[in-house]
Amino acid sequence: RASSDGKPPKFQPPPKPVIIDRKTQKEEKRFLSPEFIPPRGRTDPFKYYIERKDMIQRRKVFNIPEFYVGSVLAVTTADPCASDKSKRFVGICIQRGGKGLGATFVLRNVIEEQGVEICYELYSPRIQAIEVLKLEKRLDENLMYLRDALPEYSTFDVNMRPVPRMAHEEIPVNKLQVRMKPKPWSKRWERPKYNIKGIKFELPEHKMKAAQKWSQPWLEFDMLREYDTSKIEEKIRKELSEELEK
Amino acid sequence: MMPIWTKSGEKRAVTLLKVQDCHVLRYVSKEESGGKTAKLLVGGKNVSPFSKPESAHEIFKEAGVPPKQKVTTFNVTDDAIIKPGTPLYAAHFRPGQFVDVTGKTIGKGFQGVMKRWGFQGQPASHGQTKTHRRPGAVSTNKAAKIYRGKKMPGKMGNIYRTSFGLKVWRINTKHDIIYVNGSVPGHTNCLVKVRDSKLPTYKDCNKNPPFPTFFADGDEELPEDLFDEEIFQFTDPSVKFA
Repeated sequence: RASSDGKPPKFQPPPKPVIIDRKTQKEEKRFLSPEFIPPRGRTDPFKYYIERKDMIQRRKVFNIPEFYVGSVLAVTTADPCASDKSKRFVGICIQRGGKGLGATFVLRNVIEEQGVEICYELYSPRIQAIEVLKLEKRLDENLMYLRDALPEYSTFDVNMRPVPRMAHEEIPVNKLQVRMKPKPWSKRWERPKYNIKGIKFELPEHKMKAAQKWSQPWLEFDMLREYDTSKIEEKIRKELSEELEK
Repeated sequence: MMPIWTKSGEKRAVTLLKVQDCHVLRYVSKEESGGKTAKLLVGGKNVSPFSKPESAHEIFKEAGVPPKQKVTTFNVTDDAIIKPGTPLYAAHFRPGQFVDVTGKTIGKGFQGVMKRWGFQGQPASHGQTKTHRRPGAVSTNKAAKIYRGKKMPGKMGNIYRTSFGLKVWRINTKHDIIYVNGSVPGHTNCLVKVRDSKLPTYKDCNKNPPFPTFFADGDEELPEDLFDEEIFQFTDPSVKFA
């Protein structure tokens, strides 16, 4: 400032550098299971709070591990008809649906050349154990296209051993591009509404261009569809960590 | 609505009903009302006094209670009369009891005959001219008139309906929530009337309910959650079949 005594301005030391510790930042973004995030609607948030109390109660007794769509799981359920009174099924998780206590996940495997999909409820008391054999993510949130892919991509060994994983490692993203059986498929996966990145489309160029006719480029700018869950997620994470430490 | 599981692993759907500021407003004796039994007027959720006309404030002032959004009558026997002004709680009901729930159904507006009454309509093709969802014939030739009550298009929904014989699975005494089996008429966050079931099969189902009602300042100390015997509680380990 030149308007002081006429002497040169006092030396201002440069501002201290802010050190952003990337490791602690990553630890803060811990995994929150998607069924805890309430859907957008006119229900009283109190109902979700009551439901969450039940979910936390179940999680205290029974461990539900962290897993994503694309990880390979082994689930043991109680069954009155089986000889050992329990059944074990190994498969890749293709879809995680439902919110709250009714949350489900679908496991797919090909057993003796027959594709089998089983939809399990996460909080059902019949489930006795969930083990994650291979924890990884894929390029899409929904792997229903594996039904129309070659069966080799859905076969997993029933006696597979769990793949060891270091703690505090980033979850690997498997950038596998799956090859499909010849058309017709159960759904037209090349259309932009499914937004699938994990298929290696071997269709001719004109068909891929024709599929883009159904694109809706205005959807990503639609403000009424915006649902920002960051603050809700933080609150729920706090609540969860407090309750599970008790 | 929420899922719950029984001890054998079966899933049931359950509706959550919250008992919000219920007070007894007035006692009407049998002679006054002209019915077969005495009546108790009960008020529901608290509401600002500006939303009710001045004439409606009288009942609430007499009972010493803030104005309520909904007032219903319950037919009561003489030994179950409660003093006006007592609060009613969810612990009035017990798990294992059977209950009737009355509410106003979701309004669907003016609807055609297929949606409103479930008529079959007409085929989509094979020569039908402009007739696919119409009622068709309305009466016979000999009658020479249309009978009263003929099913025709009109306003659908927004009327009082009751679901009978719903089992109470669980009661949360801390937050006053009743978990009732199955679905209940009405949209989310609407006001409903819950009453002991009058179906003949459930006449003797109430084993020692709190009579005439549950008093919060009494000697009884209830746990936070009351469960039915058949419910799987989340504090237990997973179900195993022998």
